[in-house]
Amino acid sequence: MKGYESTGIIHGKDIPWPSEKRLSQGPVVIIECVENIPCNPCVKVCPKEAISKTEITDLPDIDHEKCSGCALCVTECPGLAIFVVDCSYSETKCRITIPYEYLPRPNKGDTVHALDRKGDMVCEGEVVRVRESGKTLGVTLEVPREYARDVRGMRVIE
Amino acid sequence: MSEKRIREHPVLDFQRKDGFFFDFEGKQVLAYPGETIASALYAQGLQRFTESKLLKRPRGFFCAIGKCSSCIMRVNGVPHVRTCITPAREGMKVERHGAMPEFPDTTLPCPKVKEENIEVAVIGGGPAGLSAAIVAAENGADVHLFDENTNLGGQLVKQTHQFFGRYEEHAGTRGTDIGKDLAKRAEEAGVNIHTNSTVLGYYHKNKIAVDAGNRLEIYGCEGIVYATGAVENFLAFENNDLPGIYGAGGVQTLMNEYGVIPGDRVLMVGAGNVGLIVSYQLLQAGVDVVEVVEAMPTIGGYQVHASKLRRAGVPISTGHTVKKALGNEQVEGAVLHELDENWEPVTGTERTVECDIICIAVGLKPDNHFLRLAGCKMKYVRELGGMVPLRTETLETSVEGLFVAGDSAGIEEATVAILEGELTGAAVTEKIKGGSEKLLAVKKRARAGIEEMRKGPYGQRPLEGVRACTFEGVCPE
Amino acid sequence: MTTVVCRCEDITEDDILEAIRDGYREIEVIKRHLRLGMGPCQGKTCIPIIERIVARETGCKTQELDIPTARPPSRQVSFSLLAGDDRD
Repeated sequence: MKGYESTGIIHGKDIPWPSEKRLSQGPVVIIECVENIPCNPCVKVCPKEAISKTEITDLPDIDHEKCSGCALCVTECPGLAIFVVDCSYSETKCRITIPYEYLPRPNKGDTVHALDRKGDMVCEGEVVRVRESGKTLGVTLEVPREYARDVRGMRVIE
Repeated sequence: MSEKRIREHPVLDFQRKDGFFFDFEGKQVLAYPGETIASALYAQGLQRFTESKLLKRPRGFFCAIGKCSSCIMRVNGVPHVRTCITPAREGMKVERHGAMPEFPDTTLPCPKVKEENIEVAVIGGGPAGLSAAIVAAENGADVHLFDENTNLGGQLVKQTHQFFGRYEEHAGTRGTDIGKDLAKRAEEAGVNIHTNSTVLGYYHKNKIAVDAGNRLEIYGCEGIVYATGAVENFLAFENNDLPGIYGAGGVQTLMNEYGVIPGDRVLMVGAGNVGLIVSYQLLQAGVDVVEVVEAMPTIGGYQVHASKLRRAGVPISTGHTVKKALGNEQVEGAVLHELDENWEPVTGTERTVECDIICIAVGLKPDNHFLRLAGCKMKYVRELGGMVPLRTETLETSVEGLFVAGDSAGIEEATVAILEGELTGAAVTEKIKGGSEKLLAVKKRARAGIEEMRKGPYGQRPLEGVRACTFEGVCPE
Repeated sequence: MTTVVCRCEDITEDDILEAIRDGYREIEVIKRHLRLGMGPCQGKTCIPIIERIVARETGCKTQELDIPTARPPSRQVSFSLLAGDDRD
């Protein structure tokens, strides 16, 4: 039994992770989808053909080299299971784009609580970009670089 | 009594204008067009809808989709009206049962019965029924669709999340938008739509009786597609009938269709997809989900749904269930306990959680009452959720001309319901009006789509289930 | 302790356990004995629960259990509708 089957929490080892080299080159997609769900919007929306499936129930096959980190898939994934991580522009900071469908809406420049996969606060993050697609927001947070593998959620400070 | 209407929502937009009042036991209650009596009363904070007959226990609305009868009241003097599916109207007089009723008005006329022969009757206006009606009407059949609710779309209109599945089908679209789209297409295809119309029974030679609200209607049908979906399972635990203990479908209806929150702190029982999705929708509506408990050792629903909840800080406790509900007039909390591998409670693991709502999401069963009335040969198929009709590959039951589609044929995903609807819509039209290239193409495409959806680990269960109840040629005894 | 199985007719789990102890072992017979499933909802909530209780108490498999006969009307209907004549 995999841990997430009873906890709902994915671990880094459960998912494909881009190489250090690729991470240093620019934003790149992280797909936390492990269960062979019959589903393919991520494949269809990708302009770079970086995500592919042979059968609809296959896990998404990600070519991190082709991915441009555009984050179109982040708001398209019905499971809200896609993130984009950018570790390329600073020694100390990184940017993480997460899907968000709650109120209140975050705005550019807001300081928010950055959360891990268990909903615990990891650090504060600054909202650097908000993109809306069909009522799902793709929110890009800037956080300390060491949390690139941990931050997967956020909470607006009211 | 506190107002429970949702003002702002991240996905849904509740249009409320032209509010009006009706009388509830002498008090004026505000309602908006499109609301039911029950949703308007609940929005005002009413919890106690009925009092049970023998034990005199308070009861809440419970299912909210016209199945359970926990919400029945006297409306304009008529007893036993299901307030959860009856639209609120200005000036109507609503009261709870209990007081001695007045003698019914004997001067009211008995409305004339309408009798008509039609080609295709589709029973149920959810994903399967609407899809069947669209295909049949687009291919020249005279189609009548019956649904007991005011709005078409079935459970789809309550789904605020984006759907999985094929991008070409509807994946990535929110259920609520799919429901509206199908309803619009049915109208455009020329389907005769009968909402607020309840099918009461099946009679010899595919005749059905319909309560159209103001009169009885009898339809002789050349073909019938039955697609009324599912009913929710319920649990036996102490105090399980308190107001505040609702089915997940009820909570979803109240919240996403009528824009009324069920309460402030919800305990979700069941971590299948329904439990996980409704928990997420509660969070979206600004309601606190204190915990999700699941009796099984693993989460039954998709990991991605569970992960969304965990990221929002909602604990999920597998191997746990609810032992009893606390409270007298309404839910004030719940006692949980752990279960061992034999489903026996583990002593010493009891703990109390504070909540005002306990939402039950422990699975669905095919709604099969009409099929049993019609004498369809039935079989218990665990993988499909319960008693289902034997059927051919195009979903015709053992009763000639009576087809079944969607959850009534077996519990599966909405995408399969849509495809099964298209398949039966084509098959019933072919049977009545003869085959065509176009119908053949629809059938082929739908069958290929269903086959594709049943690939992969999540498709194994329904695939085995369907194999156990599909026959070729003559229906086996 | 009140664990309600049939909401319409106020039948508890204890009532059913007692009926099973008294020898009523089939769902149709328990229904006639206790009026379970005979209220306005016509068994939509209680039948799944009683299936589990009877299966557990009698050791039958769920698929071997009888289920009560389905009869019209499927939903409550006012007498005035049924009394309507003078067809169009």
